[in-house]
Amino acid sequence: MYGGGYIYDDTNNNNNQTDDAQKLEAFEARIAAGEKIEPQDWMPADYRKQLIRMIEQHAHSEIIGALPEGTWITRAPGFRRKLALMAKVQDEVGHAQLLYSAAETLGKSREDMINDLITGKSKYSNVFNYPAETWADTAVIAWLIDAGAIINQVANSKGSYGPYCRALERICTEESFHLKYGHDNVVFLATGTPTQRAMVQDALNRWWPPIMHFFGPSDKISVHTETMMRWKLKMASNDDMRQKFLDMYVPKIWDLGLTIPDPNLRKDEATGQWQYTEPDWDEFKKVINGGGPCNKERLAVRKMAEERGEWVRKALMKRDEQYITPLA
Amino acid sequence: MSNGEQHTTAIKNLLFRMADDELIIGHRNSEWTGLGPILEEDIAFSSMAQDKLGHAQALYNILHSMGEPDADTLAFTRNEKNFYCCHFVEYPIRDYDFSLMRHFLFDTAEAIRFDMLTKSSCQPLANLAKKVRGEIKYHTMHANIWISQLGKATDESNIRMQAALNECYPLALGIFEKSDYENELMESGVFDGEELLQKVWTDIVTEVIEKSNLKMPDINDANLSTLAFGGRKGYHTEYLQPLLDEMTEVYSIDPSAEW
Amino acid sequence: MKSDSTIKSLDPRITRADIPKDEELKIEIAPLDQWQTYEVFHQTKKGDHHVHVGSLHAPNPEIAFLSAKEQYARRGKCVNIWVVKTADIFSTDYETEDMYENNSEKMYREAGGYKVMEKINKYKKEHKKPEAAKNEEVKS
Repeated sequence: MYGGGYIYDDTNNNNNQTDDAQKLEAFEARIAAGEKIEPQDWMPADYRKQLIRMIEQHAHSEIIGALPEGTWITRAPGFRRKLALMAKVQDEVGHAQLLYSAAETLGKSREDMINDLITGKSKYSNVFNYPAETWADTAVIAWLIDAGAIINQVANSKGSYGPYCRALERICTEESFHLKYGHDNVVFLATGTPTQRAMVQDALNRWWPPIMHFFGPSDKISVHTETMMRWKLKMASNDDMRQKFLDMYVPKIWDLGLTIPDPNLRKDEATGQWQYTEPDWDEFKKVINGGGPCNKERLAVRKMAEERGEWVRKALMKRDEQYITPLA
Repeated sequence: MSNGEQHTTAIKNLLFRMADDELIIGHRNSEWTGLGPILEEDIAFSSMAQDKLGHAQALYNILHSMGEPDADTLAFTRNEKNFYCCHFVEYPIRDYDFSLMRHFLFDTAEAIRFDMLTKSSCQPLANLAKKVRGEIKYHTMHANIWISQLGKATDESNIRMQAALNECYPLALGIFEKSDYENELMESGVFDGEELLQKVWTDIVTEVIEKSNLKMPDINDANLSTLAFGGRKGYHTEYLQPLLDEMTEVYSIDPSAEW
Repeated sequence: MKSDSTIKSLDPRITRADIPKDEELKIEIAPLDQWQTYEVFHQTKKGDHHVHVGSLHAPNPEIAFLSAKEQYARRGKCVNIWVVKTADIFSTDYETEDMYENNSEKMYREAGGYKVMEKINKYKKEHKKPEAAKNEEVKS
């Protein structure tokens, strides 16, 4: 699950001048015509670089995203929830697997990506740096974070890079199970006992700011969107995705009699746009740069898992082989 | 107790032993989800943990049809005294060598048990045994391949797997601890008994272990071979009650609520 | 007792793992640590072709199969799986895409390149039999 909060590389447009102008023109024409780019195709160096960065961040978000919900895996109440939560967290691991493979087709090995994750060089979605304090947090995450992710991923699955689009198609199918499961879970809590209801309202209050951050900075302050859009790396603007999310989910939240902790949130009937309090982008930047409540723990856990699994991997590793990039 | 009552009690006892084993090992193995040694294996191991919980739920459902409370109540409201799982499944997951070895030893026994039960006179149990056959086939295949590859791979992995085997093997014998209903179960054709199960298990386990460059531990010592007993009578390790407290933390906020 | 130097997490699994607090992130994942890649092919039902569904990391075909089964077949129908080491697949470049183009001179390979109805109709029209002869033929 991932939103629009990708951190793009600084695009230096001069990069493209070193690429063959004719090839670039043909490349852009193919994209404009709706064709998919495959790993073996020629592509501008900057396209490759941005894609690797984007898919890698998405993959990291899935594997780190397994941790907040995983917090409750041993405590899920009842067989139905226990099995569903396990299957959901397992899917996130599966998504990481699919996305690392898609990024690998562009020439960066999984080992390099994991190294960049655990040293903090490469980012992942900011929402996962917040704690899942109660059982209800898992319900809110599964419903609303996954809903946000679907909006972003459905858009991106119509992008230009074949392997990423194929991975996203499969991921979106699985996310729709997550969304249903999350909604079901929230509905049970919201229509349950006063304790259950208070629990889910509390979780929603805590998760609302990270959810608003999830789609990334406002278009006004977000950079490099134009090239990304032309190359079909980014298919919708952050603000558009946020609007779409609010349009689809705020009414559903209100249907349950839950409140959203933003007094300015309302739909302007004249423009059809949602009005809301501008999310705190300084907080967003602070968390991205390691200052969130769980950044340290998330990375330490990931590192621990790699470290404790190392003997297993090392035992079966064949050193005389050469690494070959996966095909598609 | 009438014959009929005794027969029902015997079947229930078998179902509880099996269901509790499946629940606890499924719960334990689920702890690896998201933390496994490599993404691909993480996914596979989580699937098998889900299957175990599915087996537990199906077994509790049979108990429910025999007048016991529903599966959630059975799993999430009893305290350790009323659990009949063996000690082996209660231990923490430790390193992957321990978890894999337990998976191999437990799943081999589970596969044989379910295979025996396909011919059970208890029809719901026989039906379930047939239904889960395919799933369990994958579980034992997974276990055999991993045990044999790590046993043979490097000195380090061989030493680790041998140490895990030495530790797990005596504990695994607790799987076969007989209950007071053993004769009733055998006479009425419900189950061919723990003794036969253990015999077949020992043969299969020995074969896989020897093919994996590992050595079967010597457990002629009587103390060692009964070390892990008591679970079938409600006596447990120090690990079970904390496990149950953790597992039921949310559920017990309000057991009458719908979660 | 847990010491103060390990992470206390909201996740009891993490607390149990005794992860040292404030430790520098030192581990370095070496090349090939995550093994080679395999390509996975699925058959959804007997009689169908196997179809490529993705790739995965595995040290050998047996483990590749174990992983493929759960990563690519835990939902939906599948009756058979092939796994092939990526290195063993010979693949072509899109640069050579024009090699596959078929041109109109090769219509002799296509069913559509054979059109004889016109000739048949012409022949039938020229050799139309009288009604009586046709009836005679049917009787014999």
